[in-house]
Amino acid sequence: MTPAIRVQDVSFHWPGQPPALERVTLDVDPGERLAIIGPNGGGKSTLLRLILGELTPTSGQIEVLGMTPTEARRSGAIGYLSQQSGANRAFPLSVRQVVTMAVAVGVAPWRRLPHEARNRVEAALARADLLDLADRPVQALSGGQFQRTLLARALALDPSILVLDEPTTGLDAGAQEQLRQVLGSLRGITLLMVSHDIRALAASADDAPSGSFCHRVACLRRTLHFHAAPEGITPQVLAHVFEHDLASVFGSVRVVAEPR
Amino acid sequence: MSALSYFWGPQASLQPALLSALAVALLCGALSPLVVLRRMAFVGQGISHAAFGGVGVAALLGLFSANTTTAALLGAWGVVALFCIGAALAIAALSRTEGVAEDTAIGILLVASMALGFLLLQIQRERAGALAVSVEGFLFGQVATTGVAEAWLAWGVLGITVLTLVLLRRPLLFWAFDEGSAASMGVRTHLVQSIFLVVVAVAVVITMQLAGVILSTAMLVLPGATALQLSRKSAVVWGLSFATGVTGALVGLFASVLLDAQPGPAIALAYVVLFGGARLGQRVWGSASGAAYLARRDIGRPRPSARDRPQHLAKASVPEDVPFVQAMDPPDVTDGP
Repeated sequence: MTPAIRVQDVSFHWPGQPPALERVTLDVDPGERLAIIGPNGGGKSTLLRLILGELTPTSGQIEVLGMTPTEARRSGAIGYLSQQSGANRAFPLSVRQVVTMAVAVGVAPWRRLPHEARNRVEAALARADLLDLADRPVQALSGGQFQRTLLARALALDPSILVLDEPTTGLDAGAQEQLRQVLGSLRGITLLMVSHDIRALAASADDAPSGSFCHRVACLRRTLHFHAAPEGITPQVLAHVFEHDLASVFGSVRVVAEPR
Repeated sequence: MSALSYFWGPQASLQPALLSALAVALLCGALSPLVVLRRMAFVGQGISHAAFGGVGVAALLGLFSANTTTAALLGAWGVVALFCIGAALAIAALSRTEGVAEDTAIGILLVASMALGFLLLQIQRERAGALAVSVEGFLFGQVATTGVAEAWLAWGVLGITVLTLVLLRRPLLFWAFDEGSAASMGVRTHLVQSIFLVVVAVAVVITMQLAGVILSTAMLVLPGATALQLSRKSAVVWGLSFATGVTGALVGLFASVLLDAQPGPAIALAYVVLFGGARLGQRVWGSASGAAYLARRDIGRPRPSARDRPQHLAKASVPEDVPFVQAMDPPDVTDGP
């Protein structure tokens, strides 16, 4: 099976800086849900930007669905949802109007939206569990509902890969759970999700009906330290990866008990 | 003679002014919601003040002299428009470069162009003596001198602007709502931003004739700001913005004739009064559609309490539900020996 995303021996550094990523190799299978965790400055966002084609690796190769990241992005095969969107929530737009934006980009200005595009909008609204809220002004949405609106906008383009940069950051527990359920119900979409919130990840592993939300968790601190099914992520691994973060808060850190 | 006879009937000397005012009001009504939502009030200010440099240059070239021909006048406004469009594109370019914040860039452009304008006008005044160009007209508008040519120009610009906005409506809305995502979803945001700023610059030049350099920002900001107090639906917002634009311009223009006052300040004050009314109405009844919405959908739930705040805000405390992390040495908080 050809992987959906293939990262091969990729290094990246900004000019005059120590490397942000060193020799990272990672394959993501089609339909797989992979979470990337790691401390701040560990290179998570850099890896995402490389996969999205916003940065070019210093060395190594990235393939997305057999294309270069830029080609894949242009073809609409990758959807992207960021942690804090720059979207202006004061805008007088309904949820449906926001989702429609995505499918309206390429339509000639003198033409109405084709029927097929409208259907895709409705399907995306349904997948993000937003049909009841479709006519609500975005001003009147909660943070979680707004984040699901932006998710629906990404889904309206029918991506086969969805890249999520800390999608649950800043949401309350209920909204996080709702977003995870929506993400978990997406079939046939490869999910690549970044998080530095270990607790959110633990919750996602425990709460989902199937027992684990992500099929695999990868720990990134400049290089790939570990990737395994969620139950394979031991306290030792976490302590090792998050050593600096934890030490800066608590002094030095010692592993004292198994989490489960 | 009643004020109305200036606008209607055999001695209607202000009819072109009225027609210009209507065009300008509709023009600003169309642009205003986006200017407000994109927080571009200061951008409008910067562009309008950049016009001053153009006024100075045109005056020095003799395009504003007493026996002005229509051609010379159009040339003069052309120079002013070039300055405004140049300022708009400079703002667009500077807002994309790192190291200079957008408002800083506007502040610098604004001062540079105004200073240049005043210096050139002073030079022109010393040369021309009695034929000197009046600064006040540019600062606060000069409706009385508005001729048929200016009125036609205003309607022409209105037509082109509305056509541009209609053709660009989809990428323009996407850019204004969410610039980062728009770029990643295929909208050419830099191009859209530049076109919008040029449209705003041209609108500012046309508005200056009526409201002057200082008050043209009022016409660009207040109709949209008023409309956004009253609705959350895009179609309603634009409708209210047009209505506010026209009402404020007409009320201000008539009031200025009745009181024999400058039209610019009168129009600006009319807008402020409309905005105040809308704000008050919004406070008393809630936003028109918003109130109906709340009644219909029960979304006026209380805000989340501090208990439900996002977890990352409480990150610095030791989480109880993570049993495998234990603080050992407390952080050293003393300031040395």
